[in-house]
Amino acid sequence: MAEEPQCMLQLPPSSAAGGEGLTEVSPETTTPEPPSSAAVSPGTEEPAGDTKKKIDILLKAVGDTPIMKTKKWAVERTRTIQGLIDFIKKFLKLVASEQLFIYVNQSFAPSPDQEVGTLYECFGSDGKLVLHYCKSQAWG
Amino acid sequence: MEEDEFIGEKTFQHYCAEFIKHSQQIGDSWEWRPSKDCSDGYMCKIHFQIKNESVMSHPGASTHGQTCLPMEEAFELPSDDCEVIETAAASKVIKYEYHVLYSCSYQVPVLYFRASFLDGRPLTLKDIWEGVHECYKTRLLQGPWDTITQQEHPILGQPFFVLHPCKTNEFMAPVLKNSRKINQNVNYITSWLSIVGPVVGLNLPLSYAKATSQAERNID
Repeated sequence: MAEEPQCMLQLPPSSAAGGEGLTEVSPETTTPEPPSSAAVSPGTEEPAGDTKKKIDILLKAVGDTPIMKTKKWAVERTRTIQGLIDFIKKFLKLVASEQLFIYVNQSFAPSPDQEVGTLYECFGSDGKLVLHYCKSQAWG
Repeated sequence: MEEDEFIGEKTFQHYCAEFIKHSQQIGDSWEWRPSKDCSDGYMCKIHFQIKNESVMSHPGASTHGQTCLPMEEAFELPSDDCEVIETAAASKVIKYEYHVLYSCSYQVPVLYFRASFLDGRPLTLKDIWEGVHECYKTRLLQGPWDTITQQEHPILGQPFFVLHPCKTNEFMAPVLKNSRKINQNVNYITSWLSIVGPVVGLNLPLSYAKATSQAERNID
């Protein structure tokens, strides 16, 4: 795995309206928490009884999809896939006619209402959830 | 599999069989229905949804002997034929049918679906669109006739709505290419259905994603 700057960016909290109104997160913004690799001792992934509200997500582009400059994100467990899709689309400045799909295990698209926290429980490893994203003109 | 984006009918049937195997393990009630001459067939699932309330799944095949989810009030349990439990009003319960067929012309699977109220009234295309998930609505509403059309079911000969398959390769290709790169076995049907299903209200339980990866580990 390539060495990446450990900037854990906070995904802006969803508004009550369901994920709208995300503000642009500047790449300079870092969270108060130290990078996870420094804070976690070898052999343990996360503190026991971890009830962290946020989980770490690593976003990877598939196909011709633009690669996000920032790949590592700290995301609230209750954020849905739809919310994440909306965020990435805005971040990548995709037009409305482009669809964005997110995959776990590189091949399975969770339903839009799925919470990332649940996905992390099922598919997370090494303290993070790897999600692949792919843009497509799927219909029309 | 010689080609990546297109699949032959035998491959389609193989993936459907694997998919149904897992469906049976988790009680997701997909079943295979052969055509009259048994040369081909399709995957089918029936699913009842109470409008504005939580979803209730209907174990059509009942191969595992699971009954419908218990409701709060005391209703009469359905017979083994498993007609739906009627709650407040029959008109509020919608029966969805999803069929996965193979398209020889496009060489990809195609999702056929229809929905009706319990009294037999079919849902209109407009009703269907109202059930489409928010994140797909904008795109679909821009050109609905490009994506959902009404066609005759190739085997049953009845009118169904169809999610047009012409772009299937476009969104499947990157997934398949990627999985080849990392030597991962992908169930085409599982991937494809996980992508197109939510557009028409069909969500696959997460365990399907794990089923594929478990199969990989066994191969390793």
